[in-house]
Amino acid sequence: MTVALEATRLGKRFGKRWALQDCTFELPAGSIAGLVGPNGAGKTTLLHIAVGLLEPTSGSIRILGEDPGNERVLSRVGFVAQDTPLYKYFSVADMISFGEHMNSSFDVAFLRERMARLEIPFDQSAGSLSGGQRAQVGLALALAKRPEILLLDEPLASLDPLARREFLQTLMEGVADTEVTVVLSSHLLTDLERVCDHMMVLARGHFRLIADTSDILKNHKLLIGPRERAGAISGVEQVLHQSATDRQATLLVRTNGPIIDPAWMVNQVSLEDVVLAYLDSRSTADANDHDLHAVREVAR
Amino acid sequence: MIEFRLESRSGIAPYLQLVQQVKHALRLGMLRSGDQLPTVKEVVGSIAINPNTVLKAYRELEREGLVEGRPGVGTFVLKGLDGPPPQAHAALRRSLLRWLRSAFDAGLDHESVEALFDSTFREAAEEEIA
Amino acid sequence: MTWVAWRQHRLQLLWGAAAIAAMTLFLVPTGLGMAHQFSSSGLARCLSTIGFPRCGDLSQTFENHYRGFSFVIPLFMMAPVLFGMFFGAPLIAREMDTGTYRLAWTQGVTRPRWLAGKLLVVVGAALAGAAALASLVTWWSRPLVANTASRFHPGIFDLRGVVPIAYTVFAVMLGVAIGALIKKTLAAVGMTLAAFAAVRIGIELFLRQHYMTAKRLTESFVFGPGKGGVAANSADWVISQNTIDRAGHIVSRGGGFDFSYLAAHCPAVAAAGPFPRVVGAIPGQVDPVPACVQHLGLRIASVYQPASRFWTFQWIEFGIFIALAIALGAFALWRTKRLS
Repeated sequence: MTVALEATRLGKRFGKRWALQDCTFELPAGSIAGLVGPNGAGKTTLLHIAVGLLEPTSGSIRILGEDPGNERVLSRVGFVAQDTPLYKYFSVADMISFGEHMNSSFDVAFLRERMARLEIPFDQSAGSLSGGQRAQVGLALALAKRPEILLLDEPLASLDPLARREFLQTLMEGVADTEVTVVLSSHLLTDLERVCDHMMVLARGHFRLIADTSDILKNHKLLIGPRERAGAISGVEQVLHQSATDRQATLLVRTNGPIIDPAWMVNQVSLEDVVLAYLDSRSTADANDHDLHAVREVAR
Repeated sequence: MIEFRLESRSGIAPYLQLVQQVKHALRLGMLRSGDQLPTVKEVVGSIAINPNTVLKAYRELEREGLVEGRPGVGTFVLKGLDGPPPQAHAALRRSLLRWLRSAFDAGLDHESVEALFDSTFREAAEEEIA
Repeated sequence: MTWVAWRQHRLQLLWGAAAIAAMTLFLVPTGLGMAHQFSSSGLARCLSTIGFPRCGDLSQTFENHYRGFSFVIPLFMMAPVLFGMFFGAPLIAREMDTGTYRLAWTQGVTRPRWLAGKLLVVVGAALAGAAALASLVTWWSRPLVANTASRFHPGIFDLRGVVPIAYTVFAVMLGVAIGALIKKTLAAVGMTLAAFAAVRIGIELFLRQHYMTAKRLTESFVFGPGKGGVAANSADWVISQNTIDRAGHIVSRGGGFDFSYLAAHCPAVAAAGPFPRVVGAIPGQVDPVPACVQHLGLRIASVYQPASRFWTFQWIEFGIFIALAIALGAFALWRTKRLS
């Protein structure tokens, strides 16, 4: 398994504030990873460090085995920053030329065909494109580099549902074509659920959960049962979240075996609920090393 | 050509949903032997899902002998699916009724029976695939 | 990268070219007119044969005729810093301001190459524009300068020869460096103007006179028709002129007399009546002033740079500003690599 992106105890401080702390992960090549977290969690900081726009304060990060921003990786990494920056007064044709002149290998034909398919006129100025069109142009520019890894900072944030769906379709087609590794950040989970096979949950600069999507769904359950029985239940590794009425308890748990106790009704839990449970600062899932390792063990 | 859809909250793994939809189409005769399944690119281009999901589904169908992947060409249906013979149906129905009666006798209410059935069914389905 | 730089700065470069074209449209016809007037009036012949101070009427007529062109001088003094403000300051600052650096620095070009590409186009264009303008202004101003002042004179020196080109390159690099430091376009534009003015004024007022050791000349006063003093209005650059006494102490600044000083030392002068008055203007009276001046041993001491050093000074100042520009360029490069 080649590792497309890895970090070891990565940290970034701005003045007195730590935007990222103690971040460690390994992302296998070919994954589609969702970087999830609330605003201010550090997602943009992490992505900017990965593409060489920021220098880490502590720890290290390697992308495609190299230092970010290194000449050797610049052309192999595709990146679209938040809100898709483009040159406002450039036409779409100018943006295509821009990509061509700034990259040694650039698939202009692909880009032209894509613009035609999306019915975006070549002479339209980049500043006058709709949100969905901007996002598509930015994605197409990045894909035309034929990168080995693609990082997208909140690409869906300002898009309407139709534009979001079209963006994801385009992205998935690109992945099907080239097996590129993808990291996309979002604070919305529903779109990420369908496309990501890896989830990286970030809150306040710390990773709270890094695991395979299918493993998360397999190993987390919602248990509903009588309140008095909410003690140690066989098959439950950790209770992440619990709420109770005077009679009934609802537990969101991480399992390490089947739940056969008949007192508990076992339900599937959505990815969103699991992620929220890990994000909740009041939850019993502390973001300490023990828990992350535990999750990784489960994931393996 | 078959069109796939994904129920995000059904609780059934996405790739299994695709497998089921192919089998359903086979049973109903909408897909016949020799038909080509849509390419991975076509599927993800229409329902934005992870390409690996499609690959996994096609691999499973291949493993069950229902389709065949020809490199560079596509994935093609090998044989149709008839249901099990009528006698098997009747026998299975009878044993299911027996099980249900014993469940009610043991004191389970309707919802508990459903819950028990659902979770066991899911486990078994995944185990069968694994 | 060259195409990208050209496309990004296309508008600025076209505006610059348009401005220079407009100035050319003004300078060429008026310059030809002036040159024609200069020779046809006989002023040219007079100046080259008799020399400046004694072409009196012809000079005065010519000067009056073209007094209206005096606005040109401050305008062209501004040209280099305008290049700096509008070509240089936005170069990096605009990318930071608008956030497009996130696009530009994640393509296949490293930051140093990116900056080099942009500088090549922008500085190259500014250089060409400054060279064109400098030669045009040098040609245009020749009659005026010959008639009024030394071309070595501060102000005139700045507009002719090669230094305007160096000022321009310096201004552009200054803008780029400030933009890289401040990262906000508007503030960078303002700071470029201020910094450029400070450096230019500082060097012109305090450094330029020391490029080579100035010459000193001490002369006696000459009384009679015409002005006294030395080197006034000749092609030399007079840095300072003072009246000194026999011991060498400065008695009055500027090369004139301090009459109260004379009166204090020569009773004849004190007795001659109230001041100020023109030396030797009262007929029938022997002017006590010349005798007093001689008696006190008053002389005029000048510190000056000879006219022959004009081009040497041009190249020295050119070198200084180019060296500053290179240093600023290196700083901008270093800063760009570390920007986030």
